[in-house]
Order: sequence, then C-alpha cells, then structure tokens
Amino acid sequence: MNNDFMAERNKAWQGFKPGNWSETIDTRDFIQKNYKPYTGTDSFLEEPTENTKYLWNKVSELIQDEVRNKTVTVDLTRFSGIDKFDAGYIDKDKEIIVGLQTDEPMKRMMNPYGGFRMVKGSLKAYNLEIDPKMEEHFTEFRKTHNDGVFDAYTDEMRRVRTVGLLTGLPDAYGRGRIIGDYRRVALYGIDYLIQERIKDKKNLTGNATEEIIRKREEFSEQIRALQAMKSMAAKYGFDIGRPAYNAQEAVQWLYFGYLAAIKENNGAAMSLGKNTTFLDIYIQRDLDNGTLTEKEAQELIDQFVIKLRLVRHLRTPEYDELFAGDPTWVTESIGGMGEDGRTLVTKTAFRFLHTLTNLDTSPEPNMTVLWSNDLPRGFKDYCAKISIQTDSIQYENDDLLRPIYGDDCAIACCVSAMQVGKQMQFFGARANLGKALLYALNGGIDEIKKDKQGNLIQVLEGIEKNTEEILTYDQVVADFKKVMDKLANIYVNTMNTIHYMHDKYAYEAGQMALHDPEVHIFMAFGIAGISIVADSLSAIKYAKVRPIRDENGITMDFEIEGDFPKFGNDDDRVDNIAQDVSQYFMDALRKTPAYRNAEHTLSLLTITSNVTYGKKTGATPDGRKKGEPFAPGANPMHGRDESGALASLNSVAKLKYEGCCQDGISNTFSIIPGSLGKNGEERINNLVNILDGYFKQDAFHINVNVLERALLIDAMNHPEKYPNLTIRVSGYAVRFNQLDREQQEDVLARTFHEAL
Amino acid sequence: MKKQEEQITGRLHSIETMGLVDGPGIRTIFFLQGCPLRCLYCHNPDTQDLNGGRIITPAEILQLSNRYKPYQGDDGGVTFSGGEPLLHGEFLAETVKLLKENDFNVCIDTSGYGQKEYYSQIFPYVDTILLDVKAFSEQAYLDMCFVKQKPLIDFMNQLEDYGFHGQIWVRHVMVPGYTDNKKSMQELIQTIEPIQHLVERLEILPYHTMGKDKYEELNMPYLLENVDPMDKEKAKEFEVYANVLLAEQMSKDRLDLKEKQDDENYRLESNISFKEQNKIIESFTDLPLLRNLDPKILNNIQNQLIVKKLDKEEFLFQSGDDPNYMYIIYSGAIKIYNVLPNMKEQIFYIYRKDDFVGGHNLLSDSKYWYTGEALMDTVVIAIPATIFNTYFSNKKSVLKEILSQSFARIRWAEDLINRLATLNSSVKTAGLILRLAENFGIKKNGQIQVPMEFDRAEMSNFSGLTRDSLTRKLGEFEELGYIHIENEILTILNFDALESYLD
Repeated sequence: MNNDFMAERNKAWQGFKPGNWSETIDTRDFIQKNYKPYTGTDSFLEEPTENTKYLWNKVSELIQDEVRNKTVTVDLTRFSGIDKFDAGYIDKDKEIIVGLQTDEPMKRMMNPYGGFRMVKGSLKAYNLEIDPKMEEHFTEFRKTHNDGVFDAYTDEMRRVRTVGLLTGLPDAYGRGRIIGDYRRVALYGIDYLIQERIKDKKNLTGNATEEIIRKREEFSEQIRALQAMKSMAAKYGFDIGRPAYNAQEAVQWLYFGYLAAIKENNGAAMSLGKNTTFLDIYIQRDLDNGTLTEKEAQELIDQFVIKLRLVRHLRTPEYDELFAGDPTWVTESIGGMGEDGRTLVTKTAFRFLHTLTNLDTSPEPNMTVLWSNDLPRGFKDYCAKISIQTDSIQYENDDLLRPIYGDDCAIACCVSAMQVGKQMQFFGARANLGKALLYALNGGIDEIKKDKQGNLIQVLEGIEKNTEEILTYDQVVADFKKVMDKLANIYVNTMNTIHYMHDKYAYEAGQMALHDPEVHIFMAFGIAGISIVADSLSAIKYAKVRPIRDENGITMDFEIEGDFPKFGNDDDRVDNIAQDVSQYFMDALRKTPAYRNAEHTLSLLTITSNVTYGKKTGATPDGRKKGEPFAPGANPMHGRDESGALASLNSVAKLKYEGCCQDGISNTFSIIPGSLGKNGEERINNLVNILDGYFKQDAFHINVNVLERALLIDAMNHPEKYPNLTIRVSGYAVRFNQLDREQQEDVLARTFHEAL
Repeated sequence: MKKQEEQITGRLHSIETMGLVDGPGIRTIFFLQGCPLRCLYCHNPDTQDLNGGRIITPAEILQLSNRYKPYQGDDGGVTFSGGEPLLHGEFLAETVKLLKENDFNVCIDTSGYGQKEYYSQIFPYVDTILLDVKAFSEQAYLDMCFVKQKPLIDFMNQLEDYGFHGQIWVRHVMVPGYTDNKKSMQELIQTIEPIQHLVERLEILPYHTMGKDKYEELNMPYLLENVDPMDKEKAKEFEVYANVLLAEQMSKDRLDLKEKQDDENYRLESNISFKEQNKIIESFTDLPLLRNLDPKILNNIQNQLIVKKLDKEEFLFQSGDDPNYMYIIYSGAIKIYNVLPNMKEQIFYIYRKDDFVGGHNLLSDSKYWYTGEALMDTVVIAIPATIFNTYFSNKKSVLKEILSQSFARIRWAEDLINRLATLNSSVKTAGLILRLAENFGIKKNGQIQVPMEFDRAEMSNFSGLTRDSLTRKLGEFEELGYIHIENEILTILNFDALESYLD
C-alpha cells in the first residue's frame, strides 16, 4: 500500500473506531462499531433549504408534466451503460448532490440488453423512433437476454406463459431485485474495491470448469464496471477512487454507486438497501466537528432523495399494466434492531422519512420501515404520524428478518429480504394458483384462452377432468396437488432458463462488483390468488359447490349452496387451507434443483397485477366471477372479512414466513382517518398498537393507507387537484393519478375499514 | 337422563375486532343482542330483538378476546355493546369477571337500562362505561326512546354503590331539531351531575343516516325519515361548548368543597401538660435543625413552641389552611393526602419522627394544598409563624437545614399533588400543560408556546396518567381547540379553557 492510499484512509476514517472493517471489506462491522442509536422524537428535524425547495419545485413540475402529457423523453442516440452519458444537472449551482441517469433530468435511456423488442415497443407507444442504423447494428451484432431465453424455452414453458399460468416473468426485461452495497463506495473508495476484486480473481484457482470460467469472466466484468463508475463520477468532478472524507461526500459517493446501477440496469426493482444508519455515522461526525449543521444535514438527505425520485426507465404499456404507475422500487429499508439489542434507528432514519414532509409525499423512494416490537417509541410514533399524513410507508417485521438474515439486511422491491452485499435473488414473478385450481377441475385445459384455430389449449398433461356434480374436497385437493406438482417443476425449469440467460446477456456487473465475491442466491417464486384458492377449497369443503360446465366440460361458473368460512375472519378452518397450499407449493418447488444452487423461496405478492390476473382467470368456486380482480398479495378478498380489520390481519398473520413464504407476504391495509381514532394523537397511538399487535403475531408485511374513500373518488374524477396523492398498493407506493381507471376502481372496491 | 348443569350464555349479534372509537385504545367489540329502548335514530335496529343472534358462552368470549390481545396496548381491551349489554346480566357478570381475571380492560357501552340485580357483580370489573344519554327530560326520553328517564337517573346515582370505580365516557347522539341547541347542552351537564366526577370524556355524536337501509331490510318503519344527518361541524361546536360547561361545573364544586373546609379551620392549642411539653422540647434541642441556634434564643423560644398530641385520624392541618406553623414530628406519623374530586383519598407522603412539614409554606406564604392527619397517636412540635419568621427564616444554617431536609420532600409532595390530586385525566392533563407552560413556556405572538422537551412517556409520568390516556387527552384538547401541537411545540390557544379545569 502506497503512502497516498494510507493518507487518504487516515483522513477519511479520522475519528472512526477501527475493527475488522478497517482490515477487509466489512460494512456491517463499520456500522456496528461507529453508529449512535437515537431514541428520541422528531423534534430536531429541520425544514428544507431554499435551494432544496427550488430544486424540488423544478423536478416536481417535470414529473407532473410527464404524467399530464403522457409523454416521455428518451435519449435516442445511444444505449445505456454506466459511463455512456455526459454529466447532467437539474440546476448545477443549487445541487449539493449531483448525478443523473442521462445528461438531463427525466430523460430515459434505451436499455436493449434485456430485450430489444421491449425498447422498440416502448418507443412505439410514445411515437418515438430509434435511429435505424443503431437498431440494425445492435440487432445484427448483439444477442439479448430475451433472445437467449426464447432459444431455450420448451413448448410447455411457452404454453404456461401464454395462458397466464406464469406471468410477469423477467424474460424480456431486467430482473432487478439485486442490491449493491453502495455504502462500500463511500467507505472504501473504488480503487480499493478494484484491488480486492483483482485479488479475488487471482484466488480462483483450479480447473477451468464451467463454474470457474464464468466466475473469472464475471470478476473481470466487475472490475471494468468499477473503473467505469470512477470515470462516470469524474465527469461530475469527483474522484471516487478514494474514500469519502465527510458527510456530503459519503452521500455523494454512495449515490454514485447506486447511479451506476440504474445506468447499467433497468431491472423492475432497483432497490437502494439500508443506508441511513451508515450515513448517520458520517453526518454525526461532521455535526460533532462543527462542520455541518442540522439544516445542512437535512439538505443532504433531501437532495439525495430528490435524485432518487428522478429514477426513470423506459417501459412498455403492457409492463405498466402489470406494475402500474411507473414504479422503480428504490426501496430503502429504515430502522430495525441490531443483533446486540441496540436499535439501528438513528437521526438519519428520521431525516430520511422527513423528506416526505419537506418534499411532498411521493411513491419513491419506497420507504420501508423494519418494525420491531423493541423500536424506540419516538420512532414508532413518528412512523405512524408520517403514515397517516402521507400513506407512503410500508412496514416489514424486523423481528422475523433478523434471525434469518441478520441485522444488515434490506428489502429489495416490496418484500424480498437479503443481506446487503452478501445475498441476491433471482426474481421470478408468480404463478396464478387461482387458475391452477381451475386446471385441477378442467383436466389441465385453460378455461379461457384458445389457440389461433380456436381450439382448447391443453396446458398441462396427465390431469383428469373432474366430472362431479357436486365437487368433493378430497378429489379436488388430490387433483390440485397434481397440478401444483407439475406447475412447480415447469416453473423452476423456466426460471433456471431465464436466469442462465440473464447472467449471460444482461449481467449486472456494476451491482455485483459491490457484493462479496461469494454470493448466496435465492430463487424467488411467487403465488397469486392465495385467498381465492383458500376460499374456493373452503366453499367446496363446507358448502355445496356445483360447477356449471360448457359443452367441452370446462367450468364456466359455480353455484354455491350454503355458507362457508372465508379467509380474513381469523377462522382456522380456512386460514389453514391458505397455509397448507402455500407450504405444499413451496415443497413442490424445492423438488426441482435451481440454477447456480440457488435457494428456493416463495412470496405471496401480486403488486398491482391482481387486476390483470383476475382478467385472465375464469370464474372460481368461491363465487368470484370470471374476470373479476384477485385480492392483492395475501389480502383476503374484499368484502369477505365480516369481523373487522384485526380479524383480517390475524388471518394473514397465520401465513408462515420462515421456511415457507420467506420471500415475503404482502398485505395492504386501508382505513379512513375517522375510524382510526377521534383525533390525531389517538390515531397515532392506535396505529402503533395495530402494528405492534400484528407483528407480534409473526406477520410479515403491511402497507398502510389512512385516507377517505371520498377523497379517492374525487381524485379519480379530478386528478389535477391531487398531483401528489400517493397511496400504498401491494408492496409499493404509487401516485394515484398514474393508475388507470380500472386499477383505481379496484383500489376503491377493496375493503376500507370504517366504523359506524 | 342426567341433568346437565345449565351453561350461562348470552346472545351475540356480531363482533368488531377493530373498535377504535368505542372506548379507550383498540377494542374488541362484542355486540350483544336485544335492547329495551327503541331510539328513533337507532342505527343497529337488527340488534333490538332479544331473541336474535347466536348463543355464546363466556369461555368463547375469552377465547376470541385473546386473539386480539396483542393489539390492545396500554389501555385497549374489550367492549360490550349492543343492543343493551346489561340485558344479559348474568352472562355479563360471569364474562367480565373472567376477562378481568385474564387481565383485560373492560368497557361497557350502555344506556343504563338492564338487569339491576347483577350490577354489583358486573361493575367492580368494569374500567370504562360508555354512557349513552339520550335526552334530558322524562318526556323527551319517552319521545326519543319510548322508555322513562328515571332508570337512567337511578343508574347514575347508584353506580358507585354497585362498586364501579372506573371512568365514564358520556355520549349523546345529537339529532337536528331535537337537542342541537345550547339549552340542551346545559341540561345534559345537569343531567350527568351525579357522575360528573367520573367523566373522562364527553362526546356529542352527530346523527347519521347510515342505518336507514337496515330498517327497510327488517321491514320496520323509519321514524326519522325526514330528518337530515346532523352537521358534523356544528356537533363539534356543541361538544366544545358542553365540555367547557362541564369543566366549569366541576371546578365550581371543588371550590365549594374548599370553602367548607376553610370554615373548619382552627387555632392550634397545646393539649398536654406544661411539664411534659417542656420535657419534649428540651430533648428536642439536639435536632439538627436547632443545633446551630444561639442557646439564648433557643431558651427564649422554647416556651413559645407548642406541643400537640394528636389522636389517630385527627387533623393537623387541612387543605386550604393558611400556614401558621412549621411542624416537627416527635413521635407517631402524619399522612399527607388530598381528597380527589371523586371523594377518594390520595396519600402523597407519610411523615415520621424528626420530619418537618410546613416550612416551605411559611417561607412562600402559600396555603396547604393538602391535608395532614395523624395515622396513629402522634406528638408534634409546632413552631409558630412569628417565631419561624423571627429566628428561623433569616438564619442561614436553619434555612439550609430546612432546605436540604425538608424542601426536597415537600417539593416532591407538592409536585405529586399537582400531578395526582385528581383522578380526572382532563384535569391532570390541563394541569400538566399549565405547569409546563409556567416552567418552560415562551411567549410568542401573544401565545404561549411550550417546547415539548419531554417525550410522551415522561409526560405521562409527570401527570400520573398512562401514556395512551395522556396522548388521547392531548389529542382531544387539540380537537377542542385548546392547544395545538406541531413540530413538538405545544401552543396554548385557549388558556382560560385549560384553567377552567383547575381551581
């Protein structure tokens, strides 16, 4: 190590307590040795500076323009990449944190590596055209992830995809859900990270097996990506080769790390990680030194968040149908407890949430509070207060996460947990189990979709058609298990194909450079329609369900005689069915090995695609009509919870996280303010108690909306009056005026908990 | 056939697992079936019939309640509503006892009509009563609910005899054209006079028409067909008005009580033999308090000291007395306490041998806020104010002694009195705010602002309330327009309203 290197380190780390982190890359150790927990209230928080207000107004205008005019700006002259664009600014003199994806705010990039058709389709939707030369050259010389996948898909895989049994698969766009440890850029500087990765590569000895070859290639790509990051930052006048010297640099360096990721990739969810505790160490040091004021500290965070709100990717309208409102899932995980019992809440956790007040509410970044029973009360109260004011926070159970992932884990996207820089996931969307249940009745034939000649599509082989006049539980369950077994096998194989090709053609070198050399991988599967399946099987078991079949013997509708227990009423008879089905499907998935020895996980999450899934699914035995939306995530079907909201929460809380739905169980909870309590203080208290009570029962996740139904109706009819109205939907927040009418109506139809 | 012991059961209409406005905190609400009243505005007519609903046992209630316990926080719990839950007297008695044994906070939402014979088995276990006061005269009751008013009046008068020692939320549904006027609010306050000292909250609920459809379903006539819903803002104004009236009335009653006590003041006279008195005083000169006094002075004052023997339960001084003496306890014990608005006694401190009391009052010339009474046969030495002021109050060593030994204690007791002197959380919270304003308040734009240096938990310790009760009360004051809290700064908007809660 040369003198400069040591001098830079000494300067950057002055006042920090050394530890393993100062010998090797170990961000968690740095945090644990140096952070200062905060157990007070929000009273210290400061308002935005004039510069912040000016910048946010300007950005806000740009965002509103886009929404109003339904247009986008795209750089049509080049493709995406870490270092492909010149520096861009909102207003250079007023920005203390700089860096944009392209050379202008809101200008989107063309990222063709996931699939060229995606780019073309997106451009076409906005009447834009790529330079024909660029298209010609790219398609001639470069194969994409999407091309690779379809080269290797089997007929069966194509079929389950076409009929919508598996949907939202990342086979035509970036998979996302990878979180780089962006903190490493600030703590160590790029030069050291490069030096370490060169060592890692040297250490890869032994025979050149496929695995070793792939790793060596990946390490080389990672090193190049790190060099590109350094060069990109240099365009803005910063040398991120060295570590950050102060709070402003720490935020800036960290953001450059993240900026590289979103320049390089257009993954569905490009999450940020868990950064507030880390950044607080730098901020606190500067505050103690007297080189920073609270107002300036808030300004750093405010301006950082303005940048995060500017993240944009080029998407097709079909994509928006699945994931409404142009979400980017810049998920930041905030709070939680440390393994040693100290809270990880710092003043910067408050500062981060405070941006929702200083800069209006906003869907991004996706504020995710890791809730623990032991969180300081001041922080709990503050979260509840901000939830009530902005509907922009989701909560995940830190007491469930910590034993599995440790205390330096973050949420990617909505509910997917991983240790930052040590674990990643292969995103796998979800299987429509509502439809799968109908396959159990219809012998593996799709109940809606016909082929081009108008013939029935036999999607799964070897399932017998149910011919019972009154459905019997045992028969249906036996057939349903067969369907799940077959589907699980196809699902894993499809995912293996997708991620093999993604690694090959759209590798996230920049993000993976900010991971350890050895990374644990989760392969994340999903279920849509769990409440429909549970209610349907319950109806079959406890009531009389008579299928109405068409001339081909395919079920068109169901007559139900008698009452039956419904998911969402804290009734074990049906809640256990939901749990059993999830567990069965998880176990079935595990039977097929996953690519790169990934660990199978499962989520109950639909995002906003519950509407689309419903559209593509025939009538179900629970009484749901053909085309009607599913409930989102693990929510009970709307209108079926008869005993109030806590019974509904209790039902969802029974679904098992660890070992079963360990990629997350999403639940959305909407309540009108008047029902939450008579006055502001009471509402905060009640919301804190609801969250405590829910999570104490090992529930995993909840989105909280506190708003008037009438307000939403007004916003639907007069979107211009509510430019920033943000609500939580399954796993993320969205501007209400960016949802289409159908989705807005679905939000309205869902159970709003109100008391008379 | 073997005769089975008959199981006690009730009839359940439905459950609301997340009741957030029917009693303190988060509550599991059991709506029991059946009601003797037929209120014109009833929004749950389907609960009126005594024969509807499903049969439920106390054990089932407990089992269901347990499912929601994790949500209940500091002061949430179970609420029985209806219908009229007191119609299920035997069932309720059994159930509330069972719930109490399992540490549930219990609330009953009632109109005050039910099976009286079970009340003394029910009310000792009830923490909060939501008392529905429908109207304010015999005739109005008949017109609105088709029942007489007297049972409600009796209910209120006898409530504490049934063993109730909780709090009451009074609620009144305001129907346009019926009680939406100030006179009615005055009548409301008069009506609840017998229980006013237990009232923790007074709510005016605006009549709404959301129950109307149920009448059609049940094929029942809806008698308020032509009445519009009550304007929420107006109802809120009446609620504020009624709350101020209630605070004033309670304050007046406390003043009356105090005057009565003042009349009973008396001058202290020694009641033991001179010889015995001197013996006691002599043995007392080695008290730290008197050690540094000039022996001449000591000799001079000795015969002006009064030694008094108190029998058990005899008063030494009473709340409101002027400070005429400083007392030193020679033997026995004196309890210092106050009588709360609900006539209950709150003990703050017990003074024993060699303790002093009253020095601070003499120095600051402030009246006693509390009463001193002998816990057992007790002997005290009283130092008259004149002696105290002549020889003690200017003597540094004596003052220091008093300060170090007795001030801290007296201060502490007085602090406690301020915080605990009442059961009513409105008074406690108002007192806390005014006290914080006095110590930390800043005058800004003609208003008093108090930076909230304390978190809610600390504030609740100060005020002697649970955290949730305190925050609820602060929220309520904000709603009533007395205060405004923003960015952890509390601004007092209506100083007089807060003061009206206190003497």
